[in-house]
This record gives sequence, C-alpha cells and structure tokens, in this order.
Amino acid sequence: MESQIHKIHQQLVNKEISCTQLVQEKLEALKANTNNTVNSTLDDTAINLAKKIDHKIANGEAIGLLEGIPFGIKDVFMLQGTTTTASSELLKNYKSAYTATAIQKLLDAGAIPIVKENCDSFGHGSSSENTIFGAVKNAINPDLVGGGSSGGSAVNVAKDYTVFSIGGDTGGSVRQPAGYNHVYGLKPTYGRISRYGLMAYASSTDCVGPIAKSVEDIRIVLNVMSGKDIKDQTTYVSESIPKESILHSDIKTVGYFKNFVESEAIDPKIKEDFLATIEKIKAKGIEVKELDFFKSDILVSTYYTLAMAETASNLSRLDGSNYGNRIDDKNLKESYAITRSENFSEETKRRIVGGNQVLSQGFSDEIYLKGLALRDAIAENFEKDFEEVDIIISPVTPNTPPKIGNSLKDPLAMYLSDAYTVGFSLGQLPTLTVPKGTETGLQITAAKTNDELVLKFANFLKDTL
Amino acid sequence: MSKIMTVDILSSIKGAQPSEAVSKLFDVIKNAQSTNNNSFNNKGNNCVSLNDLRDDIVVESSAIEKQIIIENFPKEKNGYLVVSKIIEE
Repeated sequence: MESQIHKIHQQLVNKEISCTQLVQEKLEALKANTNNTVNSTLDDTAINLAKKIDHKIANGEAIGLLEGIPFGIKDVFMLQGTTTTASSELLKNYKSAYTATAIQKLLDAGAIPIVKENCDSFGHGSSSENTIFGAVKNAINPDLVGGGSSGGSAVNVAKDYTVFSIGGDTGGSVRQPAGYNHVYGLKPTYGRISRYGLMAYASSTDCVGPIAKSVEDIRIVLNVMSGKDIKDQTTYVSESIPKESILHSDIKTVGYFKNFVESEAIDPKIKEDFLATIEKIKAKGIEVKELDFFKSDILVSTYYTLAMAETASNLSRLDGSNYGNRIDDKNLKESYAITRSENFSEETKRRIVGGNQVLSQGFSDEIYLKGLALRDAIAENFEKDFEEVDIIISPVTPNTPPKIGNSLKDPLAMYLSDAYTVGFSLGQLPTLTVPKGTETGLQITAAKTNDELVLKFANFLKDTL
Repeated sequence: MSKIMTVDILSSIKGAQPSEAVSKLFDVIKNAQSTNNNSFNNKGNNCVSLNDLRDDIVVESSAIEKQIIIENFPKEKNGYLVVSKIIEE
C-alpha cells in the first residue's frame, strides 16, 4: 500500500538517510519556496529532535512509525513556544503558551514539526489570500490560488515540503485546498479529534484534519490524533482504524446529490468527469442512487450565518488587552475599537459584523434561529440518506481554482464556491477529498463516526479510477 | 436595555457597516422554507452527559506557560503589566 510515512520510516531504519539530513532538506526546501506557504520554520527544535532520533537509530533502538517524520502545522494551532499568528496582523507576534492536543499526540508519537503554515487569517477565506504573509500560490499552477483556508498546508504536502500537514476544516478548509492541489485531505467526524489548542473560528463545525499524499498516511495520522479529550468535551471515544480493515471494500450502494451536478454554477468539465466517475463505479457492480438535497445557496447561507455568528463571539476576546498588537487610545473602549479596526483584515471584519447582525435583537429570530433549524433539517436529511446508501460522493468544488486576486474582489462568489463542502460540515460528517475523478477531486462521505468506511471507499477508488 | 447599538459598537470596529455580500446570504435564509422551526430539541446539539463533565478543579499552569503569558502581554512598566485606561460610565 502506497505510503510516504512507511517509505521514509524504512529509509531511516535502514540508515539510507539520517533524520537530521531529512529534516534539514525539508527546511531548506521550505525556505527557498516561492509559493508563500511558510509563516515560520521551526529550525532549532526540529534539528534537535532529529538528532535524538538519529542517536536512537545509531544505538540500535527501534523507532515508531511516526518517529522522525517531518510535518507541517497550519498557523492556527498552538505549539508551545512558537509564534501562532493565525496569519493576522493582530497576532503576528503572539507566542503559544501551550500545545494543542492533536499536535501533542503527534509529538508524543515522535513526529517532528518543522513549519507553521500560511492560511487565511483566522480561517476566514477559501483561497489563502486573506493573510499578512502573501497569497499562497497553487502547487500545480502558481498563477492560481492555493485554496483555503489551509492553503499553505496543502501546497506543502503537494510539493513534498512536508510529509503530511495538519489543517483545520470548518466549512471545507482542508478538503478544498486538498482538491485544488491534488492531494488527500480529511475532515473527520466532528469530535473525533480534540479541538483544544485550535484557534476557534466556528466551534460547532471546527475540525482538525490531516492532509497527505496517500490514504494510508491519512489513516496513520488520523489514528494518532483521534480520541476523547477532557479539554474538549465534544470529543468522543473512537476505535483505531486497522490497516487491514480498509483494504477490501464491501460497499454496495453509493449516492450523489442530483442538484449538485445539475447546478448551472458547475464547470462543464467537472460535471462531465464526475458523471464519468459514476459510470466507472457502476461498472464495478455498485448500485448508484440519485439523492435529493438542499439547494446550494441555502447550504452556503446556513453555513455562513452560523459560522459568522460563532466567529463574532469567538473573536470578541481579541481586543489587545492581554495579548495581541494593542493600540492604546484615550480609554479602554476606544483602545479595543482601534486595535480591532487596525488589526483585523477586511474579510474578518465582514464576518464579525455579519455575525453581530444576526445575533442582534430583531434579526436573530428570522436569521440565526432559522439557520439553526435549517441545520437540523440538513442533518436529518443526511440521516435518511444513509439509510439508503453506504457512501455519498460529490465534487469538491463547482469550479477550478481562481486566479490570484479574483476572490478578494468578489466575496459573495467566494462564499458560493464552498457550495459542495459546507453541507457535510453542517452534518458533522466524515468527508475525505481524494485527488481523483475531477480536476479538483472527489469528496467521499459516510454517516457520522464512520470514518473507516470513507477510507475504505477511498482505497477502492484508488484502484478503480 | 433599550439603547440601540449599531454593528460598529457591537463589533468594536470603527466605522463598520453591514456588507452587501453578507446581506445577500441572509436574504436567502429569510426566504427559505424550514420544515422544523424548533431548533432546540434536536440532535444537532452536542450535549455532554452530566456523568461525563470534567472535574471542577483548578489546574495550575506550568512555569513556562506563565512566563509566555507574561511575554505576550502588550505593555509592561516597572515590573507591572499595564492595561488601557478604564473609564466609568
């Protein structure tokens, strides 16, 4: 089974490469890269950790599968002692006081963090252009966006600057950049991985997600990061997914949303390729069913209403009092206002203002509460669907990546480009982007907590498409 | 409180105005038909069982954590951490 992690592990064990050399090469490649994927590199700690691994190998000690594997971290995760900027002006000098649970689990397994990665500021964007570190350039065509918000992470994996990277997915922020850069990206079931230490955007859909070049590597990293965490009470107990369990597919029925492919907004080539994929799946003896679903504009509006309300609340703590780039003014309230006005990007301000609008008296009933009701209806719809089918597949995006500069000019178009990813976020379902099927990949979704089935079908598609 | 607060005050962002793009999203919600108007009785909520709550104890921060929290504080004078002038209304 293809796996970058297994391959490098074997090279380390066989002493074909030293861990120090491996880490140094990756750091050099990251620093020299022109895709704007890097917010900061973690040279000293990474080299020190690599030396320890080399020492262990030289002493004939066994090393774990992830020991010595260099990885990247989206710059919204806390890693003690490193700057965690959220790609924002406000936090450009902020230093993490503690380490996120998901990252700590990877450190405990011996993986080596080498870079904090560029992304849309606070996760606010679908192109990784909303950042103080320069727009992330697509790995395949640098004139195009890297996707977002975990754009730097997806490009680093695609370019082999990191073996895997850890992104955050609230409405598609792992899956869409994975699709745009032709790699794998998983949004696990909400609650499978602890959010402790991930800067909150919209807490009810925020997920930690791995990006990698193979299904096997996604499985390995997912297993390490999963599990109940007392510091995030929405987490649940999950079983580790064994390698053998995803090797053979027993999936009998697959569904797809008719209205996604019949939409006027979809690129004709993506539509054609998606329908051709359906035919290939049918040819393998799998029954494919057309399913009804909510209109794309309702999905996008429901998602953004709830996400903006939550981000307005989550980001209200960022006022420059205890940390951040405080700008003092004549009194406390004025200091808050000037600090936030000067340090938040236009997109972040747009979302905070939108969130406060829908939470205001007079608006909350007809917008926010209705959004919550719609989310419940969407979740119910999914439950019914998964009584009919094992897996739902869909395109990742209606269109190919836009040129750098275009998304910032038209925020509504950017919101609507999330049409195929946000529904699965609202349903809190496990969804994986595979770099197959269409120019921007395919999404594979299963019922809640059935992340194993998603990986199983991805493995099956690897040989089918 | 009867005082009407505008979004710039609510958001603590000077000169903030509602955006046209976002208003278009809200219009879609206003016009949508929802089959279920009771949003609080459903499974979309992630409830924690009373038996599963974490212990109500104070966890001491490590020395390094405390040190970094102090380092992150924007202003320091004569060993004191300085906040902006607080006004009374």
